[in-house]
Formats: sequence, C-alpha cells, structure tokens
Amino acid sequence: MSTTAISAAPCNAASALATSGQRLRRAARRRRLLANVGTALLSFVLLVWTIAPIFNIVMVSLEGHDDVFGGRIWPADPSLDGYWLVLSEGYWYLEYFWHQYGNSVCLGVAVTALTLLIGSLTSFSIGRMRIRHGWVVTNAALLTYVIPATFLAIPFYRLAQAYGMMNNLWSVIAALVAFATPYAIFIFQNYGASIPMELDESARIDGASPWQIYTKIYLPLMTPALVAVGTYALLLAWNDYLYQFLLLSSKQSMTVPVALAQFLNSDEAPWNYMMATAVIYSLPPIATYYMFRTKMTGGLTMGGVKG
Amino acid sequence: MTTLSRRSVLRGAGGLATAGTLALPHIANAAATTASVWFTQGFIPSEDTALRKMVADYEKQSGNKIDLSIVPYAPLRQKEVSAVTSGVVPDVMEDADFSFTPLNAWEDRLLDVSDVIETQKSQFSEIVLVGRRLFNKVTKQRSYYGVPMKVASVTFHIWKSLVEKAGYKVSDIPNTWDAYIDFFLPMQAKLRAKGMRHLYAMGLEVSTLGVDPLNTFYSYMIAYGGKGLVTPDGQLHTGDPQVKEAVIKTLTRFSKLYKGGHVPPGCVNWNDADNNNSFHAKQIINDFNGSMSIELAVIDNKEEYADNITHGLPNGNDGKPLPAQIGEFGAVIPKGAKNVALGKEFLKYAIQPTVLNEYLKGGLGRWAIPYPSVIKSDPFWLHSGDPHRLAYITETMVGPGIPLYEAYSPAAAQVDAEHVFQVAFSDIINNGMTPEAAANKAFKRAEVIFAQYPLPQS
Amino acid sequence: MEAVQVFDGGRPAVGHLVRLRALRGALRGSEYAWALAFLVPYIAVFFAFVIYPVSYGLWMGSKPSLYATLMNDPTYWTSIVNTALYLGIAVNLKMVCALLLSGFFMRPGWWIKALLMIYVLPWAIPSMPAFISIHWFFNGDYGFLNDLLYDLFGINGPAWLDSRWLALGTMITSYIWKWMPFWTVILLAGRMAIPSEIHEAAKIDGATGVRGFIHITFPMLANLYFVCTLLSTIFTVGDFNTAYFVTGGGPAFSTYVLATLGIRDAFDLSQPRLGVAAVITALPVVIPLVYLLMRKLKTAQVQL
Repeated sequence: MSTTAISAAPCNAASALATSGQRLRRAARRRRLLANVGTALLSFVLLVWTIAPIFNIVMVSLEGHDDVFGGRIWPADPSLDGYWLVLSEGYWYLEYFWHQYGNSVCLGVAVTALTLLIGSLTSFSIGRMRIRHGWVVTNAALLTYVIPATFLAIPFYRLAQAYGMMNNLWSVIAALVAFATPYAIFIFQNYGASIPMELDESARIDGASPWQIYTKIYLPLMTPALVAVGTYALLLAWNDYLYQFLLLSSKQSMTVPVALAQFLNSDEAPWNYMMATAVIYSLPPIATYYMFRTKMTGGLTMGGVKG
Repeated sequence: MTTLSRRSVLRGAGGLATAGTLALPHIANAAATTASVWFTQGFIPSEDTALRKMVADYEKQSGNKIDLSIVPYAPLRQKEVSAVTSGVVPDVMEDADFSFTPLNAWEDRLLDVSDVIETQKSQFSEIVLVGRRLFNKVTKQRSYYGVPMKVASVTFHIWKSLVEKAGYKVSDIPNTWDAYIDFFLPMQAKLRAKGMRHLYAMGLEVSTLGVDPLNTFYSYMIAYGGKGLVTPDGQLHTGDPQVKEAVIKTLTRFSKLYKGGHVPPGCVNWNDADNNNSFHAKQIINDFNGSMSIELAVIDNKEEYADNITHGLPNGNDGKPLPAQIGEFGAVIPKGAKNVALGKEFLKYAIQPTVLNEYLKGGLGRWAIPYPSVIKSDPFWLHSGDPHRLAYITETMVGPGIPLYEAYSPAAAQVDAEHVFQVAFSDIINNGMTPEAAANKAFKRAEVIFAQYPLPQS
Repeated sequence: MEAVQVFDGGRPAVGHLVRLRALRGALRGSEYAWALAFLVPYIAVFFAFVIYPVSYGLWMGSKPSLYATLMNDPTYWTSIVNTALYLGIAVNLKMVCALLLSGFFMRPGWWIKALLMIYVLPWAIPSMPAFISIHWFFNGDYGFLNDLLYDLFGINGPAWLDSRWLALGTMITSYIWKWMPFWTVILLAGRMAIPSEIHEAAKIDGATGVRGFIHITFPMLANLYFVCTLLSTIFTVGDFNTAYFVTGGGPAFSTYVLATLGIRDAFDLSQPRLGVAAVITALPVVIPLVYLLMRKLKTAQVQL
C-alpha cells in the first residue's frame, strides 16, 4: 500500500500541477477573450460616436440642394457634384477656393513652425537650462489666457493698425502664435519634466553647446509632444476664422473658414456645397497627422541617449 | 561656437524694436488718396457684379479710386463694431443690420450725412427718411446718420401645391388677418392624412435668434392694434391699454398655435435659416419671411418658383390695410474716416436714381429702391409680370408702412437684440406663465432698457 | 560627474540632483547668454502682441457701471449657471474620458491605430460646419437622429434642442465630441513619455490593468492631467461656437453661456465693453485656476 501511495504521490502532484496549470491557462484565455470583446465593443462605440455627426456632414454633402432636410437617413440620389464644384471653384462663394486654400496652408505652416520653435526654445531655456527667474516668463505667458481670444479681437485690430500690419497675413500669424505659444510652453514643460536631466548633463560634460543639446537631445526626445502641439497649432490656424476675418479685407487674402462663413450669408445656403467644402478642408490636417503619427511613438529608454 | 554675451543679445533685441517703431508711420500713411468702402456680399452673384460695376463706373467718371471690400454678411457686424470701437475705420460702410446704425448714431460714432441726403431728398420716400433720422446722445438731436439705399419688408410665402393638395383653392384665401391665419390650419390634418408625416400648417418664428421672430411678433401686434408700442418721438408706451391688449393677444395667439400643434415644435429654437429650410423641405405650407430670399433661392427652378406664392400682409380684422414694417439698409460714414469728402462724393453718386436703380436691379430686385418715382416709372418693379416681385414691392413701397421701431429709439434696437417679447413667449410655453404675466414681465424689461437711452419728450 | 542610475535603491535620485543644481544657481557665462537668447523670441512676441491687447481688454472691462447693467440682465444669471455647469461637467467628463481613452489607444494592433485616425476627425473638422450639422442632427422634426430612432426602433425621439436641459445636454455632448480627441492625443503623448521599462517592471510586480493604472500610470500623468484640465477650463470660458451653432443659445437664451452673452452684447448691441465685462466676471474662477497652474508649473519635478 505504501509503495503505491509513495509512487502515486508524485503523479498526483504532477497532475495537480498540470490541472492548476490548465486552469491558469484557461483563466488567462478567458481574461484575454473578455479583453478582446471589451476592446471590440469599445471600438464599436467609439466608431459610432465619432462617425455619427460626420456621417451627417458627408450625407449632406452628397445630396442635392433640395433634399437636405428630406428626413431620410441615406441620400436618395447621392452625387459627388458638390465636391466637384468645390474643387473646380464652380460656385460663386468658392470663386477663390484654391487661393484661399493656399492662404490657409501658409497660415497653418507659419503658425505651426513658429509656435513649435518659440515654444520649445522657451521651454528648453526655462525647463532644461533652468534659467534664473524663468518662472516669471511662464507666469506672464498665462496672462494671455485671462481674457478669451474672441474678446481680444478688437484690441488686436487696433494693434495691427498701429503696426501697419492691416490686411496682411502676418498680423493673423502673430495673433495666433501669441495665443498658441503659452499652451505649447506648458505642455513642453510638463512633458520635458519626464526626461532626466542627466542626458543634458552628460552632453554638457562632453562639450556640447546649448544649441547642440537643444537640437540633438531635447527635440528628438520631445517628438510626441511636438507632434501633439504641432497638430494643435496647425488646427488652430487652420480653423481660425475671427482673426483672419477681422484683420484681412480682401477676398483673395482670406482663408477657407471665411469662405465657409459666407454660407451663413443667406437664409438659403446650398448646404451641400458648404459641407463638401468642410470635408475637403478637413482632410489635410488629418493627412498631416497621419504622416507624423509614427513620430508619436518615440519613447524614452533608460540608460541611454537616443540619436 | 559663437560666444553670445548677454549684452549683445539685449542690444540686438532693443535694436529690432526701435527699428520697428520708426518704420510704422511710414507704412500707415501710405494710401491717402483712395477711399475704402465696405459693402455686404450679396445674396446672389449678380448683386456683387452690379455693385462692382457701379464702383467701376464711379471711378471712371470721377477719376478717384475706390478700394472696395465685399464682406460676407454673417461676420460683417463683428468687423464693423470692431472698426468703430477701435477707431480703425473705412471711409464708407454698409450697415450690417437694422440695429447697427441707430445704436452707433446714439453713441456718436457716425458722421452726419445730411448733405448727402439733401442731394436726393425729394426722391426718397418719407418712411425711408424717417428711418434714418436718428438720435445722437451727444448732440442731443436727431439728424441723418445713414444714407438709405435698400428697402425691405416681410411677406408671407405659400406653397400653392400644398394648398391644392389639401383640397383648397388659393383664390379662397381670405384677406383679413385672423381669417387668413386660420385658413391654413385645417390643411394640416388633411395633408397628414395623405401621408405627409412631418407637415405643419405654418411656420411661426418665435425663437430668440435673428430678425424673423421680431418681424413676426410685431406684425401680429400691429394687426391687433399695438402699433403705438413705440411712438415716433422714441417713447415707449407699455402703459397704453391698446398696446397691452395687442401684445397679450399676440402672445395668446402664438401659444394657441403652438400648443395646438399647428407649427413645428422646433420653432422655439429656430435660427435664421431653419424656417427657410423647413419651408423648402415643404414641411410648412405658410411662412413669414423678409425680403424675397425664399423665392430668389429657387429662381432657377421654374416649377418651384411658380409654385411659390408671395403674399403681402392681409388687411386687419377690421378690413383696413395694415402698415408693413419697412426696414432699410444703407451706407454710413464712421467717425474717424480719413477720406470723408471722397466718401460723401461716392455716396452722392451712388444714390442717383439711375445709378441706384441699375445696381438694385442687378440684384434681381431682392431689395427695393427707396424712390417711389422710380418704382412707378421703371416697369421692372411693378410691371415685369413677375407676381412675386409685384406683391413684394407693393407691400414695401406702395402700400402703407411704418419704419422699424429702431428708428424711433435705439432702445428699441436693444429690445430687439434681447428678443424681449420672444422670451415672453418662451415663458408661456416653458415656464407656464399666463400671457398677461409674460407680457408684464416683458414690458418691465423693455422699460428698463428704454431708461438706458433717455430721449427728450417732445 | 558620473552617470547616475535613475533608480537608485528604489528612490528617484534624479530629483535630488536637479534640486542641487537649482540651488546652486545654474548657468554661467555664455550658457546664460544662450538661455537668454532662447527666451528672447517669446519675450518679443509677448511684449509686441500680448501686453497691449490684454491690458486694453482689461481696461475695456474696467467701468463699474457695466457690471450693474450686466447684473440687471436676466440672461446674465442664466449664463452664469450654464457656464458653471458647462465648465464643471463638460470639461471634467471630457478629460476623464480622454484619460481613459488615451490608455485604450496605447494598445497594440493596426486596428487601434486606424481607429485613432478616425477618432481624431472631429478635431480636424472646422467648428462651424460641424456644429451646424450637429444642430440639424438633433433637430426634433427632421434631424438625422430622430429619423434613425424612428426607422430602427419605431420611437419618436424627443425634441433635443427645444427644452433647456435637453439642449444643455446636447451642447455638452457636442462639446465633448469635438474636443475629446484633442486632449486624448495630448494625454497619449504624455503616456508615451512613460518609459516602457516602468511598465515592464510593474507587470513583473503584478501591477497590471486597473491596479497598474492607479498606482503607476496615473501618478505619472497626474501633473499633465491637472495642467490640461486647468487649461481646458480656461479655454472653455471663451467657447461660444458650441452654444451659438448647436443650440443658438436657445430656447429663449436658456442655454446661453458667458461667452455667448459677451458676444451678443459686444456685437449685437454694439457695446463691446459690456461684452468684455461679461467674460471678465468669469475671472474670479479663472484667476484661481491660473494661480494653481502657476504653482504646478513652478514645482514641476521629475516624476520618476
């Protein structure tokens, strides 16, 4: 009896282990299944949530003028006429579409580049080089937000005149950079706080100048924040409407959001063209974000400097 | 590695700033021989073309230069207010809405343009002139602060096909106020029975957005005898029993129409475009909307254009014609304009009957010309065979009319901007007030507002 | 100075080093000049384009009688309540969802990345057409949503925009729809900054999922989250597009927020000073937020 007992024991133990291993695996599989189902569900909800209004926009853009409020959930006679009209500047509100689009691009690029440059330089100086009294600058920057931008339009209008910058795209660029940069500084400060200072230290010891540290160490490590803030600045400029409208006077110097505002001109707007314009206009920032999205995954690894 | 010293950086920055400041006056004073003019973008392309042609003709004739900016309508008000507030103004601007000129004339932000008006004074219709004779709180007098160029009023718009589908005839439409309104109500049930699930008898603008609700409320109020709400001397008469009764009657009528389900429930929150959208989608048979925008939007669609009926104001319940409220747009010259003389010259040119007539005809008559003699002499206005234009122009320039209350007092402009009486309607529907209580509340608010714009009693 | 290990016996050694450096007074000579030179662009922008407008704006709101006029306006009090609800609910709900979703988007898989691209769309579409379309979407009579509800489930949806609380809810939902993607991206960038080694170490210790989030991830994101919430609140004080286009401020001004009231007073009433005064009355809320932000930024330490 004892021999069987003894010889049985390791078998029992082994099989006990085996079953507990099986149970663990099954549990793990169940968890994974739940996680996958949860992910799928959440993905579906997110998709519906995001797409619903956009579906409405696209649907309106595909409809004929009179069908817009027909009460259907799919256009009776979808056509790409609206889009073609926008691209061919075939409607009088859209006469200068490509010209205005070009202005939007200039505005977007200038504002993004300047915001990123000035914001990162400032945050580098204050956050990394830790210049004395640097906090004065960040605190002062916050003053920009004390009064919302819409209400600063009138003083800005005066200012642009004083500087002789009326009807000049630079006045709009200046306004938007002034509003976007403090935000950039704060995000960079915060993001940069998780980059250890040793990297700067060791580079200093190796004889790098601040400019080299900025370009070779700081900027590469800050890439996700740069992409995020850059997209923010781009979209701010891309969708700004009030400042461009106030500070610019001629149709040629205006940008697409102002062209969109024309559709609010009449009681009878061809909504399909307006929505087609909006869709076409939204694509470039998305495309830009798409191009830069891989940079977003730039992470930090310990114990080394990248690049 | 360049060695930057603190001093060199600061010196550089300082240098830039100084250079910038020195360069300023030079740029700012560049254009002293052109007049800058802002006009609203038209509602159809031909309006803009006609405007540009008028400006080009002026330039050719006079040898002066005009820097014309055609500005989209929706944000124009913001641009103009920013301009007059900051003092950075063009020489001539077209006013953005009915409230702008009275309010800014009151604040002494506009220049007196009586000399421009003088050149055509005999031509202008009386109502139109009264509409621009505005009170200035600094000079404590009334004077002309705007040059009227375009005139508008509000008419009813009806879908003939829907009337006929419901089994009625357009020729049967009564011509007294209440009977007119009641005529359309039973059509709703009949058309719903035919499968038009979303159909309502009429659109009723009662929201707090845009000018349509104001037109709607006042036209009913005037129909019920409340014309004297504000008298030409700019005084508010909320104590007048006739006015009180008219306002209460209007609010009661509105709430009965709303609660009776005769109007789309969404109308409490309609913005400027919503009633037009509703009308175009044939969800309402009858709509009250200003100018001919509804018709002109479908002018290319012959069938729809013909199907659309423009109907002027019916007579009052006593059979007597009702005065229509006449609104006007025109040009103003803001204070601080640099080329006042040139601006005035341009305006004097623009309001010559032939010039103005051609410009407005280019806009397909969406706006009426403020000269009764031209209305009579040029067949375009009344005798073109277009029934819409006939009805519209008749109401605007031929039939009886009164100016908007804004002209009497800028306080009315604020009452309108605050949509005081529309809030009263909402109080009845959403807060359960009685029409009397809501009217009293609205009156109180109107009195507070009028007290902010003290006008001398005459 | 030898290269210091980040994790030195479990206690972050970096913060210590940083503090020492700050105490010593950091830069000398040409380095100071560099630091100063880096600051000059923003300082120039600030002096040229911020000081004057903000001072002028504050001056515009400095007449006491403006505030008396404001308080007399019944719409003002409604706006205050709505703005408070808007800031309290919309901003915080949006930030919480953004935080959670930023974690979701960290997952691997091509479909997650594709979803992120779609998810970001609301941010890219200009406000005006987007909100106008949402205004139609929620229309009680002919809106897409009610049509869908009727066609799929046979129910007549409520008039979303015709009563105060429903309209306010619609407004808040639209606001979240538009801006949540933006803050998700920012927080996502913040998560990317957390070195993967930390997650590895946490997994070994068994801190994954919810526990991992509460004890590891969130403390590291806390500062960023807090800064973002404060900034978002300040930005939202000036947001009038949502109210204006989605609900029109209606019905009867019941969904007006301070920014919409300010715009109405400034431009419809041609009284810009009154308009600025309306948003300045939000300062008692904004100033403490700004102060908190200043504190947070000053003491931003390395979180490791």
